[in-house]
Amino acid sequence: IFFGKRKKMKNLTLVVMLLCYSFASSSGDSTIHTNNWAVLVCTSRFWFNYRHMANTLSLYRTVKRLGIPDERIILMLADDMACNSRNQYPAQVDYRGYEVTVENFLRVLTGRHENAVPRSKRLLSDEGSHILLYMTGHGGDEFLKFQDAEELQSHDLADAELLIMVDTCQAATLFNQLQSPGVLAIGSSLKGENSYSHHLDSDIGVSVVDRFTYYTLAFFERLNIYDNASLNRSYDPRQLMSTAYYRTDLYQPHLSEVPVTNFFGSVMETIHTDSAYHAFSSRISNSKIKSDTPFNQPFNQLSEQDVKEDLQNTNNQNDELKTEKQKCPYSEMRADLHEKLKKIENVDTMVNLSIAVMILVVMVSSSLL
Amino acid sequence: MTKDDGEMVEEQKKKPCRFWIWALSSVLFRLILISYAGNLNLSSRPEVSTPLTSIRRLAEGYWLKQASMSPYAGSMYHGSPLLLSLLGPLTVQRLVAETSSNDLKLCFNLVEFKKEDTLDVSGSKGNQVTSFADILSAILLRGIGKKLQMAYGLNARLLGLLKSPRDKGILPCGDIAALVYLWNPFTIVCCVGLSTSPIENLAVILALNGAVTRRVPLAAFGLVMATHLSLYPAILTIPVIFLLGYGLDAPPLKLFLQTRNVESGNRSSTSSASKQAKSKPTAQLPFLWKTVVHFVFWALVWSLCVMVLCRLSLSKHGGLEEMFKRTYGFILSIEDLSPNIGVFWYFFAEVFDFFRNFFLIVFHVNILFMLLPLAIRLKHRPCFLAFIYLAISSLLKSYPSVGDSALYLSLWALFVNELADMKFSFFLFCGYLGVSLLSPVMHNLWIWRGTGNANFYFGNAIGYACFQIVFVVESVSAMLNHDRALKKCNPNHQKVKN
Repeated sequence: IFFGKRKKMKNLTLVVMLLCYSFASSSGDSTIHTNNWAVLVCTSRFWFNYRHMANTLSLYRTVKRLGIPDERIILMLADDMACNSRNQYPAQVDYRGYEVTVENFLRVLTGRHENAVPRSKRLLSDEGSHILLYMTGHGGDEFLKFQDAEELQSHDLADAELLIMVDTCQAATLFNQLQSPGVLAIGSSLKGENSYSHHLDSDIGVSVVDRFTYYTLAFFERLNIYDNASLNRSYDPRQLMSTAYYRTDLYQPHLSEVPVTNFFGSVMETIHTDSAYHAFSSRISNSKIKSDTPFNQPFNQLSEQDVKEDLQNTNNQNDELKTEKQKCPYSEMRADLHEKLKKIENVDTMVNLSIAVMILVVMVSSSLL
Repeated sequence: MTKDDGEMVEEQKKKPCRFWIWALSSVLFRLILISYAGNLNLSSRPEVSTPLTSIRRLAEGYWLKQASMSPYAGSMYHGSPLLLSLLGPLTVQRLVAETSSNDLKLCFNLVEFKKEDTLDVSGSKGNQVTSFADILSAILLRGIGKKLQMAYGLNARLLGLLKSPRDKGILPCGDIAALVYLWNPFTIVCCVGLSTSPIENLAVILALNGAVTRRVPLAAFGLVMATHLSLYPAILTIPVIFLLGYGLDAPPLKLFLQTRNVESGNRSSTSSASKQAKSKPTAQLPFLWKTVVHFVFWALVWSLCVMVLCRLSLSKHGGLEEMFKRTYGFILSIEDLSPNIGVFWYFFAEVFDFFRNFFLIVFHVNILFMLLPLAIRLKHRPCFLAFIYLAISSLLKSYPSVGDSALYLSLWALFVNELADMKFSFFLFCGYLGVSLLSPVMHNLWIWRGTGNANFYFGNAIGYACFQIVFVVESVSAMLNHDRALKKCNPNHQKVKN
């Protein structure tokens, strides 16, 4: 099927740049951008899809050059050209071959891995991360094909809280289902249009890169780490041979204010401090961060503020309850009980104790009666 | 006589020792299996872990609860919140922190562990709980068996079938049932595979033990807990009430009425049937309403406690309504169609939505229809009735597992004295063996190798259901034949005496 397509140079490349903002509970503006992650996925195998592999690997090189370290890049390649022994600069491929599946991809995005999955295969982003997700392969109306056997559909992507820039054949359709706030969508082609490959290499006989990626990378080649170029670049429809489409209604800041290196590079604010470095506790644990360095203080303040706000809210609610139901003593008692229940933090130990008490009563009563 | 007495006393002393030796060796066997048979993957097999009994789902529910979400979110956990707070902490394992330098990491892609909580599904703490539950169930079964054996001997003597004052010739059904339970491969597999069936079985056996030894709070507690953990033991209310009201298993009243003219002994009996036969010439068994009311009271007390505790643990996540919808609602609506050794998953995978509710009602009422006729026919044998109810419910329940079979097979062993003449026993034994050996093979062929399909596995499940049906039918007919044989013996005995 694909030979005909190759001849006609109709290729569907999907460039999905997903920028993930996880907001702190108070407001999005107070999130500090601390690190960048990149998830680069190539979903096609076989020789005639060489250009997809090349797309992914060229973007891998770009983001590495602009500063994202290997630990924060997850590279998923469906075919193993990068790890060929003839390759002088082997890439650190995290998911290779048949491991590139829709299930693994969604596991990377949602973070729900099994125990045995090593850290290099996990997307360990936090509230301050910006994530670049680049996917290339064959796609179509509201789907992206994974390895000839399965597909990722637009509503699968929509469930993630992501900023999506989709560039593919009929790219605009893949983000039809997006509704989450903080999502920016840029597509390279509208419904019914194709995205084309750029040029053919006569030595290897296949197309080596796609147009959208080519022009994007050409733009990046001119950048270095300290440039301030914004995301608001325009693609020339004549060069792309398709119409680029921006969907900005869900994204708050204006495109021209967002620097490109927010997502593609690794520029971080450095705060000079004289106090000693304290290690972070795990973001999953419930304990508060106890370090005193100014770098950690914003997080600490945020969490304290949240706790204070919650307590204030519950106190307000309790006051309201009390004033409303002061007439009936029974409901007063119930309200008191509810308050006590809410204040009990360790419900579990109480339940366990009660079960133990129940069993004791059973044993005692059955021996007596 | 003294020589016999001496021998009997010695034998009786030896028997408990032998029982405990076998019991402890079964625990040892479990420990060996736990340590050395890790790659059997018992906790992931559909025969052992169903959506209701799987330990992984319990761990998932516990994790969700720790993350301040409802434990029923995502339709993973469908069990009791009390079990969650008891067994949940046992599923958590802390990994020790190890770090590796960044340079090495780039070259060799080493993995870095961090001190975080992960799921410990293969942990030994859960195994300790299930082994303890197994041992406790075995001890309680032994208690039930002892009572039943005493009653059997007493009734046999009252009917004039047994002449000596000792229970010679009567098999020690308590020991046999307990050892069958401990050494049944199904039980061992459930214990090692960390399903929650041993705990459910313990609750059921607790209820039966309480009813048999006339400890009403215990019986009520066991029944309430068993119903709370899995819905089906609710049907055991009928046999438990019969046990408390009518007394233990005994031959039909008519036989006692026939022999009361012959017997003139003044021995006290535990069976109210024989007392009744001596005093009044009516053909009705007395029903001890006082005990039953007592039982109902205690059942209400325990259910209230359980409801309060569940409400407490789920106060932030939707309360009791959510719990009922996700536990009982899930059981009754068969939402999960993953394969198991039952027959419903295959059927509901292809039934049209329009007929789904109809077939759900048909399958659940199938169990309910059998309750009344069996209760009428077997009300003089309530313990056997409980066994039959359990067998039927484990055959027709939504998500059966081998843990349910383990329970009713050991209850069957309580009646070895009466069911000695059961037909097809060898055929059924071979059938059970074959089915349980083929089941993992068919599953492997279907899921892992892809050379088989669902029909292979379902064929096996149908075979298993057929064997269970034959087993139930044959045991009921064997018991009724036993009663008929007793009736035949009696007139002959009377004729001889007269």
